[in-house]
Amino acid sequence: MRNSAELTRREFIVKSVTAISAVYIIPDLIPKAVASKPLDVEVSDKTKWAINVDVNKCVDGCTACVEACVDENGLYGFDRPETDSQWIRKLRIKDIKTDKVTTLPMMCQHCENPPCVDVCPTGASFRREDGIVMVNQHTCIGCRYCMLACPFKARSFVHENLTEQVTSAPRGKGCVESCNLCANRIDHGSETTACEEACMKEGHHAITFGDLADPNSRVSIAMQAKPSRRLREDMKLKQRVTYSGF
Amino acid sequence: MSQLTKILAISIMVFIPISSHSHNDEKHSLIGESKADKLDQCVEPTEVMQKEHFEFLYHQREETVEKGIRTKNHSLANCIDCHVSHDEKGIAIPVNAEGQFCQTCHVKTAVNIDCFSCHATVPRDNSSKIKSTGYNQNIHIESTANNLVEYYKETNYEK
Repeated sequence: MRNSAELTRREFIVKSVTAISAVYIIPDLIPKAVASKPLDVEVSDKTKWAINVDVNKCVDGCTACVEACVDENGLYGFDRPETDSQWIRKLRIKDIKTDKVTTLPMMCQHCENPPCVDVCPTGASFRREDGIVMVNQHTCIGCRYCMLACPFKARSFVHENLTEQVTSAPRGKGCVESCNLCANRIDHGSETTACEEACMKEGHHAITFGDLADPNSRVSIAMQAKPSRRLREDMKLKQRVTYSGF
Repeated sequence: MSQLTKILAISIMVFIPISSHSHNDEKHSLIGESKADKLDQCVEPTEVMQKEHFEFLYHQREETVEKGIRTKNHSLANCIDCHVSHDEKGIAIPVNAEGQFCQTCHVKTAVNIDCFSCHATVPRDNSSKIKSTGYNQNIHIESTANNLVEYYKETNYEK
């Protein structure tokens, strides 16, 4: 009589295939509910944060994204528009041939080949593993080379003493600063940036944020649905912020 | 004899700074009440924190800024959250104000702190709107653009 613990060849193969698929394949098929990482884990290049802006949905005169950014990061100014910090601003473009007016939000484009990082003498301007280009203000000496190097005028310099910073966004005199894709928020598990949230609340849905590495993320779906382009593609900066609709 | 004086001198050099740093086992006597007042020790033993808190902060800032690690134990935000004093009305007093937690020791040891030129001195989340006077007009794009146009007109066209 055969020992019940002994497997036939067929049973052995079936069981081992089932076990392997249960361990390795099935977890990959189930979409992850939250893309966020635990607080104590380093960011990695497995996440590729990106923004897609649908220019056709962006409404002329609406500044919800700008105001949300100001609130989120405590970017109060001194009523001096030439020097006050702006991390995101609205642009109004008019096509000379057709007179078509387009408005779009302009912020740090989070290039994969960022010129601001190339020129920084102290390494303060850097690109995080997950693609966020930001300033390490502990090492920034305020030379403003990065502001000159940036083709998108994305960076600002803080000229004056500040006192009312928010805890989540430290900033101070003598340092350059720019959009950091709400790094603090998304590290703590948020799936939206302040500007995207504001745009959705207004019902415009022009800004879409998400993880490019995940084909089911909002930004991937938005980019599959329509053609998108980077600004000044001839410079080969490979921005993570893309624009659709013009 | 000379050996004895040497030992005495060394022991004075070693022990006096320690005793002057350590509040003689007393709790901080600061104006207001903080969460830390009610706890026995900080995230590390008190002696370690007194001598090495800046090492923890330096380490944590690199971890946080460059690698996106946001653990709370050694983060400055968490230090402030716990050590900030609240007055009778429950309003937070900045940690770097005179006689407050950070400032007391740093004045005594004559070590300047740079943290608070950028970091918030009281827990301040972004829902507590800053809204300094006139900030809404300031950020409004149309007025900003108009100001810019006028600025350029003034600077360029007169020349």
